[in-house]
Amino acid sequence: MSRIQLERLHKTFHRHVAVRDLDLTIENGELLVLLGPSGCGKTTTLNCIAGLEAPTSGRVLFDGDDVTAASPHQRNIAMVFQSSLLYPHMTARQNIRTSLAKQRLDRGETERRIAEASSVLGIEGLLDKLPSQLSGGERQRVATAKAIVRQPTAFLLDEPLAALDAALRLTLRAELVNLQKRLGTTMVVVTHDQVEAMTMGDRIAVMNEGRLEQIGTPDEIYNRPATLFVAGFVGSPPMNLIQGEIAMGDGRVRFVSGDFAFEPAQAAGAAGPSTLGVRPQHLHVRAGPTDGAMPVTVFAVEHLGRESVVILEDDRRNKLHALVEPGFASRVGDRLHAAPDPAHCLLFDPAGQVLSNPDRETERSA
Amino acid sequence: MSIRLSSVWSWLALAIVVIWTLLPIYWFLKNSFLTPDEIARFPPPLYPLEPTPAAFFNIFGFEYELADGTIRRGSGQANQIIRGFYNSLIVSAVVTAVTLVVVLPLAYVFARLDFAHKNKLLFAILLAVALPPVSTLIPFYAMYVRLGLSGTLVGLIIVTLTITIPFVTWMLIGYFRNLPQVERLARIDGFSRFETFLKIIVPLGRSGVAVAAVIAFLFSWNEYTYALMLVNGTSANTLPAAISGFLFQHPEPSHLAASLALTILPPALVAFFLQRHIAEMNLVDPVR
Repeated sequence: MSRIQLERLHKTFHRHVAVRDLDLTIENGELLVLLGPSGCGKTTTLNCIAGLEAPTSGRVLFDGDDVTAASPHQRNIAMVFQSSLLYPHMTARQNIRTSLAKQRLDRGETERRIAEASSVLGIEGLLDKLPSQLSGGERQRVATAKAIVRQPTAFLLDEPLAALDAALRLTLRAELVNLQKRLGTTMVVVTHDQVEAMTMGDRIAVMNEGRLEQIGTPDEIYNRPATLFVAGFVGSPPMNLIQGEIAMGDGRVRFVSGDFAFEPAQAAGAAGPSTLGVRPQHLHVRAGPTDGAMPVTVFAVEHLGRESVVILEDDRRNKLHALVEPGFASRVGDRLHAAPDPAHCLLFDPAGQVLSNPDRETERSA
Repeated sequence: MSIRLSSVWSWLALAIVVIWTLLPIYWFLKNSFLTPDEIARFPPPLYPLEPTPAAFFNIFGFEYELADGTIRRGSGQANQIIRGFYNSLIVSAVVTAVTLVVVLPLAYVFARLDFAHKNKLLFAILLAVALPPVSTLIPFYAMYVRLGLSGTLVGLIIVTLTITIPFVTWMLIGYFRNLPQVERLARIDGFSRFETFLKIIVPLGRSGVAVAAVIAFLFSWNEYTYALMLVNGTSANTLPAAISGFLFQHPEPSHLAASLALTILPPALVAFFLQRHIAEMNLVDPVR
């Protein structure tokens, strides 16, 4: 168990900057998810925490001790790689045992730990099989057993579920979280899947182009995104983003986009170009025109059972998503009106920073 | 109907391939059990009517009495054959061992690590593979005469290594490249680079290692051009060069055939015992 700190971590490959002056603290016993699109630097960050990559500059601290120059083994971390990498020529048992090869444990203790880890993950019956004889989910469990058997200071997981089918991903996701909570060991999970991040993380660190965009609880990330990038990346269907500008007049702040004018509840910022963000559940679809509604055309309707998603097109052919009741009746081509909920709207400045989040408490990178 | 027809064609194709490859082998094996008179007969016998192992005794210098009381005398080449067989075994064993010790780490480093001037060095290896051995024959001969290495086993071993090392390296680079990225796993487990190579990569790539050994062995066992030039007629002569002596002396076709049978014996044994690995070395997906 340990608290992991990254201090101005910087990593370049040749000329390409993978991670840019990253400051990040992972609390003891926490499950932190590093979320971002491919190439955002999340895996490089994880490899720097693991000690597989040496940072170009900056420090890595475990419980306050500088481990920047220490090997992965000296840091006593355990790692699960993409598609649950195992030694293909060794049985599950040999794979797990190799984790302890350099631990200088006596034979009894080694076997006791293997038995314990196998029973925690329910793989006792698979120990004498080769990885090629195991299914994707079984390999994932063996890889996890290989990680926990060492009783590491931290678990580092690189896209641990990416290679599995959807149903199995759901099961194993819950199993991993349950295991982490039972063991109380610090865990860092890298993923590009925002649903995985939301469901697993105690906190989520959203990265983009080598920078930390925002770090916070899933609730903060979803409801109070600090940047346009976070707002657009997290959430499914995605947040609607409408280009326009802020106009001041009569002591009121209005968002104007073409013919559409709208008064957000939490107004901030100065006059000028802006982006309005509204989640699909906060975009209300009505038949007739009202104040603060824009005319739209139905582009498609997706029935999800519990609710439906209407994809709308505004007059400038931008696509908007709105969540509606499952019984919502409309046909492609219908003219409707969409009104953002003033209480649940976000305004972003041209640099992508949020303007209208008065109670924002999230940390952001410098 | 079309299925039957295509299976007829595939059987026919298979039959042609089998005859093409096995008939010559059958022919000299058959000849090795005949007497020179029988071999000279026309039309030649398709199989030995009265097989005799005489030639196999003769090439080792022993007399053999046929059923009709004729004595088949030992070959004058016997010493050369025995010596050649022995030398060939030494050369092949040493070449195989040295090739493996050099090539395994070399191919691994080229396949899995990045370092300065890697591509230029790779190109140098390719060049060494591409050069026809004959083109270096004269320079090697001239150099060996000065160094006193002509007519020695050491000289022949060195020159054979100049071919097996680049060739087997080139072959194994692709194989090692396709192994999964277990190095990261090994680093987490606390293995040093050298330990990773020795304890993880070599066992993981054992099929590739076995095939590399087979290729090095077969190449050095069958090597003829350099042997003819550098060691023929000396006490360091190898079996292929020694057998060529039959061609220039008074014709003993059954002795030649028996010597050839002796020559293909070790490769046949190697192929038999390592066929599992050879079949396993799937270059696209080494771990199946």
